[in-house]
Amino acid sequence: MENVANKENMGDELAFLSKKILELNKKLIDSEKAKSRFLSLVANKLNNPLTAILGIIPHLKIIDTKENELLFELVCKEVSNLDFKIQNLVMASEIESGNIDISYALVEPLEIIDEALESLKHLIKEKNIEIKINSSIKQKVVTDPKKVYTIVKNLISNGCKYGFENSVIEIDLDIKDLMFVIKVKNQGDAPKVNYKPEIFTRFAKDADGKHGLGIGLSVVREICERLDGTIDYEGEDGFVTFVVRLSLDESMVDSQAYGSNEFLFESFDDAIEL
Amino acid sequence: MIEGNSTFIHVGQIHVDVAPASISTILGSCVAVCLYDRKSGIGGMNHYLLPFWNGNSLQSPKFGNIAIPKLIESMLERGVNIKNMEAKIFGGASMNISASNNMMIGEKNILVAREILKEYRIPIVAEDVGRENGRKIQFNLQNAKVLLKYTIKVHV
Repeated sequence: MENVANKENMGDELAFLSKKILELNKKLIDSEKAKSRFLSLVANKLNNPLTAILGIIPHLKIIDTKENELLFELVCKEVSNLDFKIQNLVMASEIESGNIDISYALVEPLEIIDEALESLKHLIKEKNIEIKINSSIKQKVVTDPKKVYTIVKNLISNGCKYGFENSVIEIDLDIKDLMFVIKVKNQGDAPKVNYKPEIFTRFAKDADGKHGLGIGLSVVREICERLDGTIDYEGEDGFVTFVVRLSLDESMVDSQAYGSNEFLFESFDDAIEL
Repeated sequence: MIEGNSTFIHVGQIHVDVAPASISTILGSCVAVCLYDRKSGIGGMNHYLLPFWNGNSLQSPKFGNIAIPKLIESMLERGVNIKNMEAKIFGGASMNISASNNMMIGEKNILVAREILKEYRIPIVAEDVGRENGRKIQFNLQNAKVLLKYTIKVHV
């Protein structure tokens, strides 16, 4: 009898506290709404013209002078940098709008790394960074190539930005316990934050006030979670290593309870209709 | 087999469609809110994992208090009048582990749905929430009915 009363009390209290949290959370969401709106605006308005510019640039004719060539390279570098930033914003906006979809494919991990490195070549060249890739993966893996591309591009780009000049970035690929593990290690100081989660918080500043757009790692964390994975980092002896673990067990990814495949094999014949 | 052409949604997704489409998902402690407008045949579903936005990650619809207003907004954008909206809620199961361990997430997910729908004055016309079973649901926009089956065992 007493137990029942206790349970009821607990239920009432849970309801009361949840309502309070909901109220406070609403205020928080309202105050952050401007940022979300800005995000979707940027994503929509800047993406199209930039895509056009990216398409046009390779067709430009360079009049053969050294100076023009340098200028042309500079333009290419800035545009690809801008494109990277906007793609992050687009992804963030997709996640926030609930439109993000995971589509699996058979993927060659090294190809994705190469593609990311190619698109970051200007940054890598500028800081004279050497890239070392160690992969123990012999077969293709089933994952979402576009999302993995976004993850590795962000990690490598951060490694270049916050790493020292003339240093080395090591990229390790491995499969361990049904997890696809990506490690990106660069020479540099670990992010200076009071709490680890801050580094994955959107628009957060680090303790030095040095920060980028503050969106890259928050997008990466979100994508990792969608792929039923995790991201973490460790910093020691002047090295920072970001470790991403993505699940290769598709049935767990499709839904946390059961794979969506279950729908294919079972009918709703004896289902309850509500 | 899938009944008709069904769109499967994952955690953090929102899908709005029009009859005769259908939307399906699988729920553990997650909750899915189904909204429907009988006049236009437009309906939508979300699927959220946690009740409240944690204040630091992206405001994605994996949080109830983001997902429900967003679903309502998406319906409004399609031209649905909020007065015609009806809701059905599903999921929010308590998992096998003890209540103190899972922080009663299922319960909180259900509470948030009820609270927010009440605020928007959207009536809940059907629900199957709580208890310990996972659920597979398929929302048929043709007749505004939700087909529900319990899953045998739930991992969430």
